[in-house]
Amino acid sequence: MYDPENFQRMAKGFSLDQAVAESERCLLCHDAPCSKACPADTDPGTFIRKLRLKNVTGAIRTIKENNILGGACGVLCPADRLCEKECCATEISRPVEIAKIQRFLVEHSWERNIKVLEASESNGKKVAVVGSGPAGLSCAAELAKQGCQATIFEARPEAGGVIRYGVPSYRYDVDFLEHELQEIKELGVEFRCNAPLREAGQVEELLENGYDAVFLATGLWAASRLHPEVSNVDGLMTSVEYLASLRDEQFEALRNKIKGSTIAVIGGGSVAIDCAEAAVKLGAEDVYLVYRRSFVQMPAEEVERIEALETGVHFLLLNQPVDFVINHQQKIEGLRLVRTRLEKAKGTGRRIPKAIAGSEWVLDADIVVEAIGNQAESGSPSWYPNVDVDQNGLIQADAATLTTSVEGIFAGGDIVRGPALVVDAVNDGKVAAMAIIEYLSKKEA
Amino acid sequence: MAGKKVDLSVDFCGVKFQNPFLLSSSPVSNSAEMVAKAFEAGWSGVAFKTLNSDRVRIVHPSPRMNPYHYGSKRLVGLQNVEQISDRSLKDNLLDFLYLKENYPDKIIISSIMGFSNEEWAYLAKASEDNGADMLELNFSCPHMTIEGSGHKVGQANHLIEKFTETVKKAVSIPVLAKMTPNITDMTEPALYAKQGGADGIAAINTVRGLSQVGLDDWTVRPKVAGIGAISGTSGPAVKPIGLRFIADLAKCERLGLPLSGQGGIETWIDALEYILLGSSTIQVTTGIIHYGYRIVEDMIEGLSDYMVERDIERVVDLVGKALPTLQDTDKFDLESQGVASYDLDRCVGCGQCLTVCNDSAGQALEWDPLLRRPTLIEDKCLSCMVCSFVCPVSGLISYKQQPSDWQRRETAVMGEQLEAELKLAAFK
Repeated sequence: MYDPENFQRMAKGFSLDQAVAESERCLLCHDAPCSKACPADTDPGTFIRKLRLKNVTGAIRTIKENNILGGACGVLCPADRLCEKECCATEISRPVEIAKIQRFLVEHSWERNIKVLEASESNGKKVAVVGSGPAGLSCAAELAKQGCQATIFEARPEAGGVIRYGVPSYRYDVDFLEHELQEIKELGVEFRCNAPLREAGQVEELLENGYDAVFLATGLWAASRLHPEVSNVDGLMTSVEYLASLRDEQFEALRNKIKGSTIAVIGGGSVAIDCAEAAVKLGAEDVYLVYRRSFVQMPAEEVERIEALETGVHFLLLNQPVDFVINHQQKIEGLRLVRTRLEKAKGTGRRIPKAIAGSEWVLDADIVVEAIGNQAESGSPSWYPNVDVDQNGLIQADAATLTTSVEGIFAGGDIVRGPALVVDAVNDGKVAAMAIIEYLSKKEA
Repeated sequence: MAGKKVDLSVDFCGVKFQNPFLLSSSPVSNSAEMVAKAFEAGWSGVAFKTLNSDRVRIVHPSPRMNPYHYGSKRLVGLQNVEQISDRSLKDNLLDFLYLKENYPDKIIISSIMGFSNEEWAYLAKASEDNGADMLELNFSCPHMTIEGSGHKVGQANHLIEKFTETVKKAVSIPVLAKMTPNITDMTEPALYAKQGGADGIAAINTVRGLSQVGLDDWTVRPKVAGIGAISGTSGPAVKPIGLRFIADLAKCERLGLPLSGQGGIETWIDALEYILLGSSTIQVTTGIIHYGYRIVEDMIEGLSDYMVERDIERVVDLVGKALPTLQDTDKFDLESQGVASYDLDRCVGCGQCLTVCNDSAGQALEWDPLLRRPTLIEDKCLSCMVCSFVCPVSGLISYKQQPSDWQRRETAVMGEQLEAELKLAAFK
């Protein structure tokens, strides 16, 4: 049942005792494999050793100097298939819980007011960062550390992007985010919220309005749709709308709607899992996760799938949504499904779900949430008309430097990669910051 | 193993103990209420908390102990500034009577400490008259600052002899002298105790130490109203010191007295090591402070199973069995050399062996960064075995004897090109 505290707050992390005990399971590997497995170059081999040798501030420094969102990554990373997957302690017993130690150290720094980062002297350079998600925050923080004046333009009322508006509070709560944002502000990064740059060419104009470079990290805020032409239906939502509502003033209205209702969530990824699990926690009578393939084929992380099952989400597998059932008052009444079976895989590909003829049926539902993927907003290329994009509206950027087709404009995060992990976005931010610094110094020379 | 019986009982100074496991004189043997529980748990006897003759009122400092932790491992050591019993002699003796009445097969060793011949004799007699089976003369309390008391006696041989003699004259029950380790050679005072008539030696009392310094207040621990003091340290951290003194005493042929070993014993293995080095009984405090009286169950069971497995019927048959292998370092056969041997099938690839070999040994390992496996360059291996100490897989690295004609490579010299600059004449 709905419990405001549990819904709005993440489960508690490690205590100091737990973190120390866990660090003692670390084998302090030579050339630590965990440290080579992080997309953002986080170095658990070093920060765990530091914790073990009671150099706690040093451990926090190791995390934060490399990754300004070390806390977010500690909470949100699928560590079991990144750093923890490489852990040598696995063969002794089980992997060291690296992510939890990381989260602990970051939280410990807040609890004990341990500051490890310092703003540097200004180099007089101004950089605009468009979007305040993980890529933007990471880039802005890195730039600030290098002496640039970084200004973040955020369209929404508050900063954080996908880690504020795209994950439920019980997974990553606002207090935690605010702490990490505060550290970024203390580095001297300027935040401008409610500042969308959606007019034609407005992003590129930044270069003419006093900014020496621009980093584009706007993310993917349009939802893929089963039937894009269906709109204004009561009870039909995209995952983007749904998750954002869980985080803003719409929350109570959405909660009242979900309470006691039947919800169908379409999709098999992490976002779909979040949508479904949140509905259970908000008191839905029944929550169906509708996915056309099988359990093991779901893109969501294994732990998330199992957690959702345990929470009480009904997994409706091998069912392909065909259509919405909408009444004459434009209210959703159900989801028309057709059962599928998996065809034999061709080569190494995934097995393809094939509809079983005549197996159509209707799943009654009060609310249908489409969580079948995020994509670039359709108008986004017009904000930066000279920046090359692909057919899906994803920005084309050089993999090594994240430079775009426009000199002085760099881009990273999901708007370049497509849907990816927070830690990937963090790395893009760092890579872009370095490239921007280099670009600015060359330009000066 | 069922059906086989082993005999854990020991005859120690003519007194029969059901097993070798006793409580030492300490907070864990402070009252009959406590000791009764220990007896129920299986301890065969107690060295009761050192009696006080009521001449001076004893007040324990507050707080009286401080732990020595290692990472998240608790209490590898314990420092205490506790005094002898703060109870009246009458209360303690009533407790003796209670224990003898309710646990007639258990052994009470009365620990006493006096400041004069008369006081020693008085306490000894009072103990004997009220049921004590043995005496333990506390020549070793590390918290006494007055000359002629506690460990100060243990450091003054003539006093040891004199007080022991006094006690022996006053009573007919066996007398142990409990020795301080805060001394270079324990056999010397032990011989004086023997001279005075002691029937056995108990060792070690706590080692004078400092467990912690506060970083916020720059004050040593335990912090007693703003100050601390060097005081008795015990627990697993002092076991090597205890084993050393017991072995010294056991090897001393002139001494030839039965020993009650103590210092850092928690498990049957610790106890057995003390026994193999010559202890007939063993005493425990810090292990009980850490885990409770229940640990005796594991000592009894563990030692029994070991004896069944080795087909040893009586504990007595184990006493001192390792002593012949204990020799001076000049007896080592330096011709016998070996190397580390790696069973890489079980390697988990952590590479700690590489780190320690590079930084503290012979740089004898090569490392495959892709496979994450070490390869030993045998002729560089010092056979120090530190790699095996840090390896998380027990038994993966073992010692391998090398043939007698095997040669170890000389340690690399970095300055070979600098010979012209060398300032050195041969030593004559």
